[in-house]
Amino acid sequence: MSLVEIKDLKVHYPIRSGFWNRVTDEVPAVDGITFNIEAGETYGLVGESGSGKSTTGKSVVGLEKVTGGSILYNGQDITKKANRRKLDYNHDVQMIFQDSLSSLNPRKRIEDIIAEPLRNFEHLSKEDEKLRVLQLLDIVGLDADALYKYPHQFSGGQRQRIGVARAVATNPKLIIADEPVSALDLSVQAQVLNFMKKIQREFGISYLFISHDLGVVRHMCNNIAIMNRGRLVEIGTRDDIYNHPLHIYTKRLLAAIPETNVNQRAAHRASRLAVEEVYREQQDKYYDDEGKAYPLVAVSPTHSVALPETIAKQLAQQETEVQA
Amino acid sequence: MWKTILRRILIMIPEVIILSILVFLLAKAMPGDPFTGSINPKADPAQIKHLMKINGLYDPWYQQYWNWVVHLFHGNLGNSYQYQEPVTRLIGGRATNTLWLALLTMILTYALALPMGVFAGRHEGKLPDTVIRVYTYVTYCIPFFVILVIGIWIFGYVLGWFPTTGSITSGTTGWLRTIGSRFYHILLPAVLGALFGTVNIVQYLRSEVIDAKRSDYVRTARAKGVPSKDIYRHHIFRNSLLPIAAFAGYSITGLLNGSIFTETVFSYPGMGLLFVNSISYRDYTVITALVLIYGILNLLGTLLSDIILSVVDPRIRIE
Amino acid sequence: MAANFNEHSDISAADLTRLSQEAKAEATPSSARIIWDEFKADKPAMVALVIVVGFILFVMIASLFIDTSKVMQTNIMNYFSAPGADGLLLGADSAGRSIAQQLIVGSRNSIGIALGLTVISSTFGICWGLISGYFNGYIDWGMQRVYDFMMMLPMTMMIIVLVTIIKNYNAVTLTLIFSIFYWEGTSRLIRSRTLAESEKDYVAASKTSGTSNFKIIFREIMPNISSLIIVDTTLSFAENIGVETGLSYLGFGLPIQTPSLGTMISNANDPNNITQYWWTWLPAALEIIILCLSISYIGQVIRRAADASQRQGAED
Repeated sequence: MSLVEIKDLKVHYPIRSGFWNRVTDEVPAVDGITFNIEAGETYGLVGESGSGKSTTGKSVVGLEKVTGGSILYNGQDITKKANRRKLDYNHDVQMIFQDSLSSLNPRKRIEDIIAEPLRNFEHLSKEDEKLRVLQLLDIVGLDADALYKYPHQFSGGQRQRIGVARAVATNPKLIIADEPVSALDLSVQAQVLNFMKKIQREFGISYLFISHDLGVVRHMCNNIAIMNRGRLVEIGTRDDIYNHPLHIYTKRLLAAIPETNVNQRAAHRASRLAVEEVYREQQDKYYDDEGKAYPLVAVSPTHSVALPETIAKQLAQQETEVQA
Repeated sequence: MWKTILRRILIMIPEVIILSILVFLLAKAMPGDPFTGSINPKADPAQIKHLMKINGLYDPWYQQYWNWVVHLFHGNLGNSYQYQEPVTRLIGGRATNTLWLALLTMILTYALALPMGVFAGRHEGKLPDTVIRVYTYVTYCIPFFVILVIGIWIFGYVLGWFPTTGSITSGTTGWLRTIGSRFYHILLPAVLGALFGTVNIVQYLRSEVIDAKRSDYVRTARAKGVPSKDIYRHHIFRNSLLPIAAFAGYSITGLLNGSIFTETVFSYPGMGLLFVNSISYRDYTVITALVLIYGILNLLGTLLSDIILSVVDPRIRIE
Repeated sequence: MAANFNEHSDISAADLTRLSQEAKAEATPSSARIIWDEFKADKPAMVALVIVVGFILFVMIASLFIDTSKVMQTNIMNYFSAPGADGLLLGADSAGRSIAQQLIVGSRNSIGIALGLTVISSTFGICWGLISGYFNGYIDWGMQRVYDFMMMLPMTMMIIVLVTIIKNYNAVTLTLIFSIFYWEGTSRLIRSRTLAESEKDYVAASKTSGTSNFKIIFREIMPNISSLIIVDTTLSFAENIGVETGLSYLGFGLPIQTPSLGTMISNANDPNNITQYWWTWLPAALEIIILCLSISYIGQVIRRAADASQRQGAED
């Protein structure tokens, strides 16, 4: 059994209008997605902004009201508030936010910020709690001096590490990392990511790693899901996605990764344009009549793509031939 | 757009109904009856009882309320016990007085506030801005009735520049003189009201101008070489004009509330003074009518402002 | 589980005291300290603070030594005594009652009511705004409709009607009646700030940390709008002095035999008093003006201090 099983998850935002302010329409932010997160792995969820990846993350951690489908954690459906409470769900599932400044209460000292989940879930003695906070600071590479300071006194990278420390405080099983480094400088990104990796090794934590940056995801994740317009368009292992992408959306995302090798500038440009060309010409092949992605079809035990079955098989065939 | 307005009006209906019930019950709960003492000091208690019965004052409250509402829709608000005249006519006369005073106050407020707001924003941090800020700060925090009393003392009594009572000099003839006399009577209260009612508009306009000065579109205009006078006129001022117009609706509440004090201090026969007098005489019909009118005017003022704002800012429409 | 942390960190219980002492040395000053420093640096603000606090203390203490029942007793011998005459510092009114004594007792009553009104209406308004802004959906919708309705009521008129209905009212009932109508401004302000605050991630982080809504509202969000609350409460206090005195001036506030700054100013309603016997009403009017200006000035300084501390925050 997987740690978390997401089945046909739907989150629709109502549009209210008209005379009585009734719900007249819905925006499907997340429109029926299914995937599993295994214990101890880092699962990448990739998509452009507005694709519903953050909403998915928030649903998994229990911040979003789910419209349909289920999220099973150890076999229990945690889309219901009562179940979350019964399980002390957030003791086991925590979150790291994108904006480190906004996610730390500016009026609270670091000690109180990191201790917040401890106070709610573990009820330690004063000494034990302080010790734990100091250990957590040490684990994310911060000095004990930080204890009585306020968030604004730290740099972006340091703040994000404080956010990591808070998420790890209760030794959770799963951490939702919602674009944890996209607001940081490139030089600091690696530092925070390495702390996250170190913590994963030491504490056996799973991550749901949400990002739009395929470069970062490649560094962090074993399994990856690509999300587009509220649906999954492709899921697979790192190798499947990066070396054998099948869906045009995945290909476009990959083509958009900036390349540092200037010598092959022209070649990259050509391949980028080629992908765009295919996208323009064959768009309707990849999306259904309403412009939505098709249901996922498995092309290998690990790799699925959102295409009609015949086309999927055909593309997979081509891909293997090219590789050969 | 129209849907928004219609919905706002529909929300108003239950509010007005609740208001009317509330007002009616409060008036009923007031002590004393309107007959004792007002007709004949030696009136027989039995006679008073009889009068009360004729006037339906012993019926259950919902029945009295219903009668009142039915009459209301026929334009009949009952008779004033104190003045022995129909409430509609009584209030009608007073309402025009209050209206003129409120109108002049509002015009003067805008005439003062608009230039001050733009000027303060334009010269942010310099002397004129400081002076205007001190002025708004002083006018904001002093209670209005204290200003009225000091104003009437200095300009009405000590200097003798303005009349201190009434709405017209008695014995005035000719329409031109009548208008002149009326204007003269409301000038001092209107000026005081305007001087002390500019705060919101000045502060809003000032911060709008300051924001706009730093905005990219004004910088672009500047870079293009648009003269700064035109920038203020076409870009900044025009953008903030409608929200400022919307203040007019909201300020109705303040003006009506103020009218009670203004009219008492200046013995000006408007609705506010009528209310204060009617309370002393327990003149229920007048009290209920006035509270209802003030409440509905407040509501219409807010509605007006909301509509103006929803025209300006589409985000408000969706809610 | 603690073992897990002990294993991966070099810090153990032995280091606890040393490390927390080190951290204490590096601790950042609180925001109350920053506001106090701002007052010390601003001389006029200090003067305003001393005036307000000193004056309030003076009237509270001085009124203890004045026999309140005697203050309002008619003394025909002192009919409109001028200031300084007959040993009356500020003269006497038409009933020969000492203006100075009325002023002290009246100030105590008026300031007391204003303070009570500020405490009750601000507390209520703050709670209302926080709850309405934090919970969106039906709770907010319902609370907004109540707010709209209250805003529609003609406040002064409603208060006057209520005052005439209640037979034996005193300072406490009067304060409560005022409180019904004076929480809206605060609640509106607090609600709009709470709406913005609730969107921030630290609120989401508190939710995932298992903190209850009640705690999030009052322990997480409220401290973040504390400067707004302090400034608004101070300004409300200045405004509220005008509420009771205004109603008393009209004759619907404190009972006639209870001295109030408002009733004293209503001496000016008599055309003779207003010019000839100016001492019966002018001192009370001037006192209100000075008090309101000083209190608002204090509010402005606190606002500036609060802004400055935020700026400082953005700098490092």
